[in-house]
Amino acid sequence: MRNLVYLFLFLTVSIQSQTQMSASEAQALKTLVKEQALTTKTISSNFTQYKHLDFLSNDIVTKGKLAFKTPDLVKWEYTEPYKYTVLFKNETLFINDEGKKNEVDMGSNKLFKQLNSLIINSIKGDMFDDEAFDITYFKTDKNSQVHFIPKDKKSSKYIDAFHITFNTKGDVIEVKMIEPSGDFTKIVFSNKELNKPLPDAIFTN
Amino acid sequence: MRYLLISICFLFVSCGSYPKKQNFQLDNSVSENLANPYFSDETKDYVYKASIDVYDKHFGGLLIIKKIDKNNHRVAFTTEMGNKLFDFTFIEDDFKVNFILDELNKKMLINILKKDFKVLITEKPKVSNSFKKNNNRIFETTIYNKTHYYFFNESQLTHVVKTKNGKEKVEFLFTEISANFADQISIKHNNIKLEIILKSITQ
Repeated sequence: MRNLVYLFLFLTVSIQSQTQMSASEAQALKTLVKEQALTTKTISSNFTQYKHLDFLSNDIVTKGKLAFKTPDLVKWEYTEPYKYTVLFKNETLFINDEGKKNEVDMGSNKLFKQLNSLIINSIKGDMFDDEAFDITYFKTDKNSQVHFIPKDKKSSKYIDAFHITFNTKGDVIEVKMIEPSGDFTKIVFSNKELNKPLPDAIFTN
Repeated sequence: MRYLLISICFLFVSCGSYPKKQNFQLDNSVSENLANPYFSDETKDYVYKASIDVYDKHFGGLLIIKKIDKNNHRVAFTTEMGNKLFDFTFIEDDFKVNFILDELNKKMLINILKKDFKVLITEKPKVSNSFKKNNNRIFETTIYNKTHYYFFNESQLTHVVKTKNGKEKVEFLFTEISANFADQISIKHNNIKLEIILKSITQ
């Protein structure tokens, strides 16, 4: 019984290493991130993607580079363990799958449009839309984490929540997309550079 | 009536059995146990980069297969960016859809995928006949009530052919094989324009 109490205490303490923010702290983070997003014209970063499926022994790890240019150019380039590029440009999704090229017109596809703006907003971290999400703010050791739970039934069928982790400067360092099953995709950014000039040539497929 | 008889005769002729057409020699003397080892290791996560050509459309993703227990496999498919498209469970002869994207939730598609993946993960199908041809040992088996021929070359499973009316319907090809592991697998349908090519990225 005593062990159980200790275990319970331990659990409470470890959960508390991530505490909920006060309203003013949350407001301050929101302001910081929005300011940061507003001044961000380009982003280039490396990323590591972890796909977690509960039934697997290990997460599937893929790596690559991200390039973003305001207002809506995004390129995800996977380099390991395979080459695969997806470019969002002019309402079109350009895919280069190890040399095989493909295009998807997003103009006609509402889901893709939503996905695209979600991606852009989550890269910048600016997803503070209370109409679309239930939002909760947390403090971790050094960083902040915000949980976005989609209100829209259609998306909540596929996504339970987005957890976005920000560093002290208000930069996104990690995005985690959790599925209703508990499986998730986690993207961790590294060597992130803001406002480095990015030639348009990068955004070709 | 006469036409019916003729057409029945014609049917018999054109539907000669697959082994006969292929000149297989019946050889039931060997009691060799047939085993497909390619998804049989419970400690392994099998992850393949998949490239799918269906009619004129090309798309890709990751095919993920895990043996959970004896006669129990999970088969899931995600896009390269991690979005899950479907997730199936196979236990013994049972099949369960854990998840499928609305856009893909079509009975016909699920059926095709179910049958194809069942062949990949079935480790010991029941053998009804065995044959010989050149250096190959060929086993006639039944999966989901359909006849499948397993080709072994020097005790290595190289391909599986699903037949109907003596014709090759689906072909499973295992290549770049090393130690019970197929680095490349292709699944080609002959009656519909569908080809799935799998390349291992198991880390």
